[in-house]
Amino acid sequence: MQDISLHLLDIIENSVRAQARHVKIRVMNLSAENRLRIIVEDDGTGMDTETLAMAQDPFYTSKGERVKKVGLGIPLFKQNAELSNGSFQMASEPGFGTVLTVDFELDHIDRMPLGNLKATLLGAIVGHPEVDFSVILYYRDLAREQSFHFETAAIKEELGDIPLTYPDVIEYIDQSLNEGIQNTNMENV
Amino acid sequence: MKTLADLKKIREKAQEEMKLRGGNVRIKIVVGMGTSGIAMGAREVMKTFLEEISNRNLTDVLVTQTGEKGLSSMEPVVDLIEEGKPKVTYGNMNPEKVKKVVVEHIVNGRVVSDYVVATGD
Repeated sequence: MQDISLHLLDIIENSVRAQARHVKIRVMNLSAENRLRIIVEDDGTGMDTETLAMAQDPFYTSKGERVKKVGLGIPLFKQNAELSNGSFQMASEPGFGTVLTVDFELDHIDRMPLGNLKATLLGAIVGHPEVDFSVILYYRDLAREQSFHFETAAIKEELGDIPLTYPDVIEYIDQSLNEGIQNTNMENV
Repeated sequence: MKTLADLKKIREKAQEEMKLRGGNVRIKIVVGMGTSGIAMGAREVMKTFLEEISNRNLTDVLVTQTGEKGLSSMEPVVDLIEEGKPKVTYGNMNPEKVKKVVVEHIVNGRVVSDYVVATGD
């Protein structure tokens, strides 16, 4: 993976695979603390302590149907966070869901770029109409604070039986995310 | 700033269109979004499909994302599912190939055999 938002997409796909109905995604640019923080919270099947430990091990996978028995997504994300003096925490409870908190040191030389956050969010939202997403983007430096909040449940309610892949709806979500990303300084991070 | 009122307008417009053409989804596109797919460029494939649908105003197409399908060596992988026709799986996809599949297969109904890696269920 070349950037953080690709890792984020991988994590969101894990949540969907764990039958989450609601996925809350927070991306926080904490400039004053020199931190870039990603939090993904789902209400999927969750994991017990043993599975949780194994999920962070490069030679473990829960995708039983797969030919290759290695799940590298989570271990690679963890490694990339730790390489930039960050941290990686995963907490989970069977039947309740999983919370993943990943920190990067913002100005660390080895930190991967955030990348195309909009493509990650747009694809996940439109590609999983059965899942409700809450997206929160947050920026804070010494002088100001900005936040953006996006709830797909409200959009789906307003749309009724019109699919999220309807051209004008794609454009609507695309532009909304774009505004949020610009207002919270998530471009070129 | 986008508001929910904008969505209401979109819904009214879409409902009018659906009345005219019967409201059926003609083609379903499924983009494989497992770890290896993402690492090989599946997100850009998804992004290009969405751009093309939006730019060409394709109102009878659905796109979804799914996990790994055991075709890791051919990622990114995309399924095109049409009612009454065998499923077509395209492999080693990239944005350029997506554009071609949209024009040839989705708009003109001709399978792009060069990119097909599997057919049927």
